[in-house]
Amino acid sequence: MKNRIKEFRAKYDLTQEDLAKKVGVRRETIIYLEQNKYNPSLNLAHQVAKALKTTIDELFDFKD
Amino acid sequence: MKNDKFRLIIMTILAIMVLGTAILYFTAIIPGKETNSGALIPFLIPVIVVVFMIFFITRRYKDIREGMPMEDERSKKVVMQASAVSFQFSLYWLLTISWLEPFFAKVLFGAEKLDASQTVGGAIAGMAIFFFIFWFYYDRKGKLI
Repeated sequence: MKNRIKEFRAKYDLTQEDLAKKVGVRRETIIYLEQNKYNPSLNLAHQVAKALKTTIDELFDFKD
Repeated sequence: MKNDKFRLIIMTILAIMVLGTAILYFTAIIPGKETNSGALIPFLIPVIVVVFMIFFITRRYKDIREGMPMEDERSKKVVMQASAVSFQFSLYWLLTISWLEPFFAKVLFGAEKLDASQTVGGAIAGMAIFFFIFWFYYDRKGKLI
């Protein structure tokens, strides 16, 4: 599932580590999310969207 | 975070205890006795487990120092998936041991049959190795379900 996490992270000038700390996950999880190698749970998707001040629909592409 | 540190301390104590027991076993069987390679298997298993634990503990300690959680939903999934796949491989490994028992006994220990400790030791060592391999694979490269 493609996502725009990297784009939103750059917009708010956050590092992967900053985002990981905000969301409460390990840095690897953010790395794999950005590389589209991990599909998050609904809860994690919501938390990431909230941390990046956006919505799940904006952040994740559900077409794939 | 405090809970994570406590868990890490418990794991470290456990690793030291396992290694200590293995060293005690090793020092008890070696001096003045003729030992075959089979006697070393019970020593090798804890060493494999401890090496895995040291690798795991150092990584997690670094994460905790950087303010990261010790585990999250992805790391839990990695463990679950590695456990599931290594369980299937372990079954085949156990079958392999039972089918090729005379071969292993002759080649590894120069005996006709494996005794109980050699069989159980080989089975546990195989299971531990499979779990480590799959954990490493899914943590680095694997597509998680």
